[in-house]
Parts: sequence; C-alpha cells; structure tokens
Amino acid sequence: MSYYLGVDIGSVSSNFVLIDEKQQLQEKLYLRTEGNPVRAIKNGYKELLEKRREKLDIKGIGATGSGRHLADIILGADVVKNEITAHAVAASWFYPEVRTIIEIGGQDSKIILLQGGVVSDFAMNTVCAAGTGSFLDQQASRLNMSIYDFGPTALKSKQAVRIAGRCGVFAESDMIHKQQMGYPIEDILMGLCEALVRNYLNNVGKGKKIEAPIIFQGGVAANAGLKKAFEKILQTPIMIPPHYDVMGAIGAAILAREYIEDQGVNTAFKGDSFIIEGQFKSSSFECKGCPNLCEVVCIKREQEILAYWGDRCQKWESSLGHKEVG
Amino acid sequence: MKTVGMPRGLFYYYYYPWYKTFFNDLGARVILSSPTTRITVDQGINMAVDETCFPIKVYFGHVQELCQYDLDYLFVPRIVSVEARSYICPKFMGVPDMIRASFSDLPPLIDITIDISRSPRDFQEELYKTGRLFTKSRRRIKAAYEHGREELKYCQAIAAQGYTMAEAIDIWEGQEEKGSWNSDLCIGVLGHGYSLYDQTISLDIIGRLRKMGCRVLLPEALPGERVEEEASTMPKRIFWTLGRKMVGSAFIMEKKPEIDGIIYVACFACGPDSFIGEIIERKIENKPYMLLVIDEHTGEGGLNTRLEAFCDMLRRKRRQKIEDNLPAYG
Repeated sequence: MSYYLGVDIGSVSSNFVLIDEKQQLQEKLYLRTEGNPVRAIKNGYKELLEKRREKLDIKGIGATGSGRHLADIILGADVVKNEITAHAVAASWFYPEVRTIIEIGGQDSKIILLQGGVVSDFAMNTVCAAGTGSFLDQQASRLNMSIYDFGPTALKSKQAVRIAGRCGVFAESDMIHKQQMGYPIEDILMGLCEALVRNYLNNVGKGKKIEAPIIFQGGVAANAGLKKAFEKILQTPIMIPPHYDVMGAIGAAILAREYIEDQGVNTAFKGDSFIIEGQFKSSSFECKGCPNLCEVVCIKREQEILAYWGDRCQKWESSLGHKEVG
Repeated sequence: MKTVGMPRGLFYYYYYPWYKTFFNDLGARVILSSPTTRITVDQGINMAVDETCFPIKVYFGHVQELCQYDLDYLFVPRIVSVEARSYICPKFMGVPDMIRASFSDLPPLIDITIDISRSPRDFQEELYKTGRLFTKSRRRIKAAYEHGREELKYCQAIAAQGYTMAEAIDIWEGQEEKGSWNSDLCIGVLGHGYSLYDQTISLDIIGRLRKMGCRVLLPEALPGERVEEEASTMPKRIFWTLGRKMVGSAFIMEKKPEIDGIIYVACFACGPDSFIGEIIERKIENKPYMLLVIDEHTGEGGLNTRLEAFCDMLRRKRRQKIEDNLPAYG
C-alpha cells in the first residue's frame, strides 16, 4: 500500500504517522525523544517497519517539530514545515469548523486562531516555558508519580488550592508549601492545572479572542486535569481529537501529500537501507573563521557528511551544495 | 592627528554619519569598533551591570574593543533627549557613568549631554563644545556641524529606499549597494534601531525575512511628519522618542494596503518596549501582528519557527482570498 509519512520531532516526543492516499490515518507511533533526536528518528522508522510487517511504499514525507531539519537529513523530507502550520492543517482536516487550537507540547505552547480553515493569528510562548509538558513531567517525578496518573488524580479534587502559575519556580515552591500544610495531593495537582491554564491564557493567549469550537492538542492534552481546568476557566466545552498526541505529524503528512500531488514530483525519501543500516553521528565544533565563533553542527552517516548548520556566514552549510535550512 | 573612538552600538545607528563627518572635518580620525560578534557580546555581558538591557551590554563590548587602541578620546555621549518634550530611555542617561565605573583603563571620555528637552540648541551647543577640543575656529566648527547634518540627511535618504540604517551607513561609507531581493510578501518590521539593525542582537531577523521572500518596510522609510501625525491620535502623548515613532509607524503600516503583516522586535529587558509592543498589539486590528522578544540567547530555531509560521499564514491567507473570489461556476 502507498503511504505518506509524517514525522514530528519534538523536544520531548518524536511522533510518526502513516496516512493513506485518502488522508486516513493508518499507523501512529508516539516515542520519547530522550534527548537524542537522531536515534529517535532512526528507531522510530525501524519500529514503524516492524509494526507494519510490509514493504512500505512511501510516496512522500513531511517533517515538523524543532528537530524537523534533522529528520529531513536522515529520512529525506519533501516538506519541512513549522509546527504552527502543521498543527493547524491537521486540526482543520479533522474539524473543518475549528476556530481555536490550544497546543501544549514539551517546551512550546501555542494558540492558533483560524478562520475558514486558515490560520488568522497565532502566538507562542516567548522566553519562558513554564507550564509546558516538561514542567509537568518534572513535577510528577518529584511527587514520585507516573505522568499518566497525574490527570486522573487531579480529577478527584473537589476544591483546587491556589497556586502561582506565573513562573515554574514559584509554582513549585507554592506546591511544596501547600503540601507541607497538609492539603491533599489531588487538590494541589488540580490547583497546578488551574494555575497553568491561567498562565497560558494570560501569556500565550493574551489579547486573543478565543472562540468555540476549541480544540486542545499536543502531548499535554493527555492530562484530563488540564482539560477540566480549561473548561472551567473558559466556560466552554473543549474537544480533544482522538490523535491529539500526533497531530503535528498528521499535519506534516497531509502537507507532504498536498505537495507531492500538486507538484507531481517524486519523493526525496532516502529509502529503508539508508536509514536503518547506516550509523548517524552528530558532532559540533566552534568555527574559528571569524570572531562570531559560530557553533557548527555536522551530521554524518558513516564517513559521509550529510549536513552542516549553525554557521552564520553559511560557509560550511553551502560547502555541501545542499538546499538551504530555513 | 587626534583619534576618536566610537562604539558601534546604540545611537550609532541613528547618528553616526553626523558624528563622523563632524570629527573628520575637524581633522580627527574616527575609529569605529567592528560589527558585533559573539566576542563583543561575551565581553559586554562580562563588563556591564546585569540590570541593563541587551543592547547596552553589547555597547560595553564595543567599548572594550576600543580600549585596546591608543585613542585620544572615546566618544560616548549621554543621550537624554533628541527632540522637544520627548526622552530616550533613562538607562541611556547613565551609560557614560556606567562605563566609567566598569572600565579602569579608559581613554578620556567625551561624554557631552545631549538634552534637547532642555533647549532646542542643546545638541549644537554640546557639539560646539566638543569641537573646541580640536580647533579654536568657531567658523570651522560651525561648518563641520552643518556638514554633518547634511551627511546624515543623505544617509537617511539612502535608508528610505528600503535599507536598514546599518546598510545605509555602509552604502554611505562607499560600499556597493546590495542587490534587490525577490519577494512576494511585504512585512512592516518595527523595533529600536540599535537592536533591529545589529545582525547579532536581532539574530538577523531582517535578513531571514528577506530570504523567506519578504520585502521589509522599516520606520526609516516612512515620512516623519506622517509618523508624528498618526502617533498623535493616541489619547495620551507618548514621551519616549522611539516608542512614539514605533506607534506612529505601526498605524501607518496598518493603513498601507501593500503591507501583509507587522512584526515588532522587542528587547526582553526594555521597559518602554514592554508596553509599546502591547499598545500596538491592541490597536492593530486589521493586519496580522507578531511580537518577537529577543535577549541574550542564541537559539535560532524558535525564531525561525515563528518567522516561517508568520509567512506561511500570510501566504495561505492570500491563497484563500483568491480562491474565495473565484466564481463557483468556473
């Protein structure tokens, strides 16, 4: 069967999806990046092959997420797109009427507003990553609790305690204070959920007109406590798509399908053996060519140099005659 | 021949041609620090007070670089106000003092105070005072002052053709004009010149946008009177010179049909930016607007994602508009 592959290489998770020519989801894979996106991309693809037990006929590949350029180098992507566009495309495919997308991932949180299926406005968190997935992970492990139990526990709360959500450090010290006062854990967790929602709405969602239908996606949408907190504070029901955790990857796959069909070109896919058999290595060095001292990254497969980036003058990047990293 | 060192930072981007011409005409040689690099940034962060903003820290790095030369003077004016009833950020007032407190082996400073709010002739009088360090001839000083003003005007006219002030200064200095850029989008970009036009501080936002197929419209390309006129529609007069210029420019840009979207580049620790960016966000209703906050980080990924998503949004919107206008019956 022919598929379009979508990959979303994020800071915390690396996601893979296969969609068919009618844009129906055929397979999805949600893996932890564990700080090594190169390994995650390779292992993800391998796992996908093992799961399908067939020779995949890949017609096109779309890559998104902060590791999208790495994915492009290793897999050979036809479309390399930012997360905003990818998430919006996927959401409006499942919900053509959607007006607001709340997306919270490992390090980023975003709000995307749409009109008639097209992004009309968006915002991302600025300098602070408080309230994103990695902070929740960290709190769960401090409480010696699986992140999967976080939501269900929070839902048991009858009375959420008040916690400062403005900054991750303050939130944590507030949580510890409340815990030492003897407040039950579920009330503290629900309090944290509400604090994060307030922070999101005041920071990322500042000045944005949030209109229904609202969709909540990204890895953090797995947390039922946050969904409830959003619904309480916005006083509107919120929908969570069935594949909330891989929406970025679905968007990337859809964009790849659009591109391949519109342009009538062949995919840039590098093929199974290139991905699975070779050893990929990344290294970095400080270029001493000028006082800018750029930190240049070099991606190699065996002895072959696949890509350089990070150099401001692009002397390394262009030395390979590769397409530009934008 | 006397030498005057000039840091390539802060109001360099607004006044350099005037200063340089002035000193040259009085027989002095101007030594300019090199364009900001990672080393400038690191040195600046080491030397500067932590509470200042990023561009001031970078300015300290430029001062550090100049300290290695044998200079007769280091020109670091105290800029309080450059027009009536308006001010520059208070941190600028303290720059010469902070420099004196942080560096031990400084050449003599020329730290004239430029405060037009005090008197409209203040700039002239202070520069005349500076001129007397080099010549006794008042006539010669006057001529150098007038010549400097003309040269600045000429440089501003170059910028108005679509160049950043940094590029305009390069062209004014005799470098070749850069070629034209292919573009299908036009984006208004606002921000304080000393962060926006320094390619290291701004992570070259303007260059990135041009590469993504955008023509960039900057405040320097807009007529000053029109900017003032638009800014005066605010219920309370904005008394920060640069802030008012940005608000007025944003209002003009919103009305220009050829502009697809507006981007404001703010500095994390900038007081005035923290509310000017916000005021513009609330007032701009008819054009997509994005606020980008920059600081000492070198993470280009986040910046690229935001710029790319902004351009994507504008292009997809335009495509949708065209499709909507096609008659359904073909």
